[in-house]
Amino acid sequence: MPDDRYGVGASLLRREDDRHLHGRGQFVADVKLPGTMDIAFVRSPHAHARIRSITVPPEARGRVFTAADLPRVKPIRVVSHSTGAKSPPWPPLATDKVRYVGEAIAACIAPSRGEAEDLANAVSVDFEILDAVIDAPRDMRGSRHPMHEHWGDNLYIEHMLQGGDIDAAARAADVVVTREFRMQRQSGAPLECRGVLAYRDYRLDEVVVFASTQTPHTVRVALAEILDIEERCIRVVAPDVGGGFGPKARLYPEEIILAALALELDHPVRWIEDRSEHLLTTAHTRDHHYKVTAYADRQGLILGVDAEIVVDAGAYGLWPQGPYHEAGMVARALPGPYTIPHYRAKHSTVATNKTPLGPYRGVGRPGACFVIERLIDEIARAIGHEPNEVRLLNLVRPEQMPFTTIGGMRLDSGDYAQSVRLCAELLDMPAIRARQQRSEPDSRLIGIGFATFAEQTAHGAAEFAARGASIIPGFESCTARILTDGSVVLMVGIQSHGQGLETALSQVAAEELGIDPARISVRHGDTESTAFGFGTFASRSMVMSGGAVARASRMLRDKLCRIGAHLLQCDVAEVRCVDGLVSGPQGSVTIAEIAKVAHLRMDGLPQGVDPLLDATATYEPAISTGVYSYATHGAVVAVDPETGFVELLDYAVAEDCGTMVNPMLVEGQIRGGVVQGIGTALFEEIPYDEAGQPLAGTLADYLMPGAAEMPAIKIGHLHTPTPHTEYGMKGMGEGGAVAPPAAIANAVRDALSSIGAEVNETPITPRRVLTAIKKARGPKA
Amino acid sequence: MSAIRLQINGAAVTDDVPPRLSLADFLRERRNLTGTHLGCEHGVCGACTVLVDGEPARSCLMLAVACDEREVTTIEGFAGDPAIEALRRNFHRHHALQCGFCTPAMLITARDLILRQRAGSEREIRDALAGNICRCTGYTNIVTAIAETAKEIGKEAPNA
Amino acid sequence: MVQFGRIRGNLRGERQADGTSMKAPAVDYVRARSLAEAVDLLAEHRGEARVIAGGQSLVAMMNLRVASPGLLIDISRLPELSSASDDGDAVTVGACVTHAAIEDGRGADPSRGLMARVAATLAYRAIRTRGTIGGSLALSDPAAEWPAVMTALDAEVMVCGPGGRRSIRCSELTTGIFETKLAADEIIESVHIPKLSADARWGYLKLCRKSGEFANALAVAVVDPTRGHSRVVLGAANGAPLVLDNTSRLVSEGGRGDISGAVAIDLDRAANRHFDEFQRNLHAVATTRAVRQVLQ
Repeated sequence: MPDDRYGVGASLLRREDDRHLHGRGQFVADVKLPGTMDIAFVRSPHAHARIRSITVPPEARGRVFTAADLPRVKPIRVVSHSTGAKSPPWPPLATDKVRYVGEAIAACIAPSRGEAEDLANAVSVDFEILDAVIDAPRDMRGSRHPMHEHWGDNLYIEHMLQGGDIDAAARAADVVVTREFRMQRQSGAPLECRGVLAYRDYRLDEVVVFASTQTPHTVRVALAEILDIEERCIRVVAPDVGGGFGPKARLYPEEIILAALALELDHPVRWIEDRSEHLLTTAHTRDHHYKVTAYADRQGLILGVDAEIVVDAGAYGLWPQGPYHEAGMVARALPGPYTIPHYRAKHSTVATNKTPLGPYRGVGRPGACFVIERLIDEIARAIGHEPNEVRLLNLVRPEQMPFTTIGGMRLDSGDYAQSVRLCAELLDMPAIRARQQRSEPDSRLIGIGFATFAEQTAHGAAEFAARGASIIPGFESCTARILTDGSVVLMVGIQSHGQGLETALSQVAAEELGIDPARISVRHGDTESTAFGFGTFASRSMVMSGGAVARASRMLRDKLCRIGAHLLQCDVAEVRCVDGLVSGPQGSVTIAEIAKVAHLRMDGLPQGVDPLLDATATYEPAISTGVYSYATHGAVVAVDPETGFVELLDYAVAEDCGTMVNPMLVEGQIRGGVVQGIGTALFEEIPYDEAGQPLAGTLADYLMPGAAEMPAIKIGHLHTPTPHTEYGMKGMGEGGAVAPPAAIANAVRDALSSIGAEVNETPITPRRVLTAIKKARGPKA
Repeated sequence: MSAIRLQINGAAVTDDVPPRLSLADFLRERRNLTGTHLGCEHGVCGACTVLVDGEPARSCLMLAVACDEREVTTIEGFAGDPAIEALRRNFHRHHALQCGFCTPAMLITARDLILRQRAGSEREIRDALAGNICRCTGYTNIVTAIAETAKEIGKEAPNA
Repeated sequence: MVQFGRIRGNLRGERQADGTSMKAPAVDYVRARSLAEAVDLLAEHRGEARVIAGGQSLVAMMNLRVASPGLLIDISRLPELSSASDDGDAVTVGACVTHAAIEDGRGADPSRGLMARVAATLAYRAIRTRGTIGGSLALSDPAAEWPAVMTALDAEVMVCGPGGRRSIRCSELTTGIFETKLAADEIIESVHIPKLSADARWGYLKLCRKSGEFANALAVAVVDPTRGHSRVVLGAANGAPLVLDNTSRLVSEGGRGDISGAVAIDLDRAANRHFDEFQRNLHAVATTRAVRQVLQ
């Protein structure tokens, strides 16, 4: 429910809503410039092929651009400082070879997209088809036609993470559980696909690139380097962005090509991705293979975990971070928030002839959570205990904090066990267990499953340096400005694409300045009008950008107090800045009055105080290893053992993200994340055939969660403010998507416990459920 | 090119359009009504939903030429409409939108649902929203906002 | 025979395109002023023209460039195609009656609620307001609802062509995946559906994971003792709707006996449909459950 207060902690209603409720949002495709021409790409129909020739019909000359026509465009190249990392150059338009279905070969320009597609269909490309590398575990050491010449194998990177003595754990174990797990490839699939609009601004001597991106500033850095022009001559604008979730936090070839074309041509150029193109070319996600063994004693105490992790990372690395972080992230997160003493994880990231892999809500954590939480359930079954008992036995306890897990996660604060109990309470676990004793009228089987995890958020220098990143998103910035009428502008480097940061950040400024958020504008997404920042991803924005807003606001508050005290002729220690006023013992002055003095009547300023009310601050949390949110999720399912269909009857989240700036927004992020996680768990998949053809080309194949299949999602909160950030807040945007695959797989396992069937693969489709049931039942008598 | 005459948001519009042009592209590119969004162009996601002759329709699957002599209403055309205004209030109050891309179509679908008195129960509302994908909110708040609106304007199902 | 090609192959699961097609190719368009004119135009353009009614399938296919007709003949506003009439022992539903009209129960219902129930599960409301029963039958998508339901109800389509009118039983109309007995210059005018008697019973089950998507399995069971009609039909059956003769007979005899066994025999006889184990199982379950609805 909305709150009357408007500072930190208020469920302030969003200012973003008004424009969207009236259809007045401005997404890239909504930006209209006279003379704009539309672009369609000729894309590879083959997964792996050499390009022998490209034939452009004569009437299309000048309207079709290949790599040869844009010599200024350099390949994308991710730089990783991790040992042994191999980084392939990625020409934005293919030169001699194509390495995934959908790779761009030529840009075709026409007055409308339909005509541009006509043109693309008229271009013919002669290919020499090569064998496709599509099985990551099988092909990682080499293939007949390797992904990238001179590599010697198909590995981007391979590392081992270990701690303790896993062999000792194996020897001491009473219980040994070994399983293979699989997360199938999927898409982040925001509702707005990507899009780019680029044009020359001759007055400002800039090429302007509108892009549906989560990271406008770093896109500018990349464009400058790749096109060899100065950054001051590039402006990148992320206007309204219709969902990002990670895949839009990377640089794409289309952004480079469109900017290059804008520099070549004297009219604006536009490319709006369609859904099929999106499913083909925007970063794919997940696609993990696991072989894992857990060792435990007969009480269920986990002694050690031994894991082999393979990430199928596709054909190229997406700038800036490439595919180098995902497998390592899985390895670090796999021991979960548990006090497991011995661990070994070998992780391999493989290049394949598929769409490049990118980050998507949770990144490596959903896979890691899937593995460890399923193993916990199997350990529990092996010793005849409730899975939550095994969880509680192994979870880090509050008095052990800060605790660095064997995976290297430094958990800073929280009561993880309490989240398990609260979640079970939200789902009324005793009632579910009682229900399971009776049979259902429709003969379906009821199950309940849980998953607990820690979510690393707002991590900075230490974490990214450890990952070998060449770009360290370790801070955010804010320029806060009070204008002469006392209204406020916050210019920030993050980019809000649905999270409500225009509202939440104004609450932080309101908290510090005592100014109503209704008088505060938040500018984000435009390199022209914002301070440098890295963008919105990795559950960082509220902590990092909120921290920067707080610091900048305090700088302004201090200056307001100094000027106000001077105007009130009292000591600065005697004034307070509250409710739009600076008030002292003998009266008060409005912020607007102070602002006028600071700009229009600088003769009224005290000695030593400069004009303007303008402050720029950066912020990073006190520790850069991340502050950890955590949660336990629980799912109740009904499984139809005849059809394999799984229905979600109930879902609950018991979470702790420290101080919530806007509880309403936090719950919105949780629910949105959970439904995406349910998509991963039950619906979403892009299979590839033997020839490297992706088999989900439209939303008729690629099933996205709809309202009819979703339960209402219950949420309970714990509050453990972290000591390391402003107000004690932690990031939490991704957490909702981390646990659903594990919780649901555990619920299905529970439902099928009388049969003994397990599904250790996502999505848990009816086919996979029936296959598991059949396997568990064994050959028919 | 074909000449068409239609009503858009209550105003008479004439134009000459290539038959291949979808209603969605006609609205967005030729009439500058960009509140109608394109999320898939094959009829599944629902982001393009408008009213044609008073009923919800996928503007990505209608040709502009086929809308000759029809009445089209987009999100920009509901000023003063009590159902939409109530829905806007409740979507705002209940945080039923995040990125906003699905929102115009969601409002139009919800309005139709309420006016046909099919918004009586959570189950009914959820089933009726199957044709409108939201990737951000997880639907819980959208369902709440629609249920509240239906109660407010007295148009639940007769036996709700 | 009208054939739209492997649209399912292209729309679902086997799309091999380069993925850049989302805008329809160039096309001509004419609005027919009468059914006769539509027939003439179809004949004149000899396979290059298509009628368009709701366009919910055709425009999607054009957007994906898996269909590129040269001329679209719009029949959606011909009043003779949009009405329904009660003929006493049958109802004649115009080909351009929309799924939404059927869902809402506008006009006479010959099916004692079956058709409204089916319509409500078909795609989404915004599709149903434009998509038509005639369009669905003419396209004969293997996973569509109307071909199976009309077969179960023993309906027939009235078809108009250059040679005049003829009727085709719905149980014979569909001959394969997107294949029908319609000639390239024939248009479905109406569907003639015998009324179910007061003691008729029906069962319907559509199995799919996500509400509104195409069926993974679809079973319709109709038993009308007064008329001596009993038919159990499987949709989503990799081809034309599959009439399950054995199961139909069992149901007509009151359903005493082994329903699963009867269904298994019928599915064994459908080996040319190449169901894999999972599909076969799903069809068996859907059929058994639809039959149980009738026998309750």
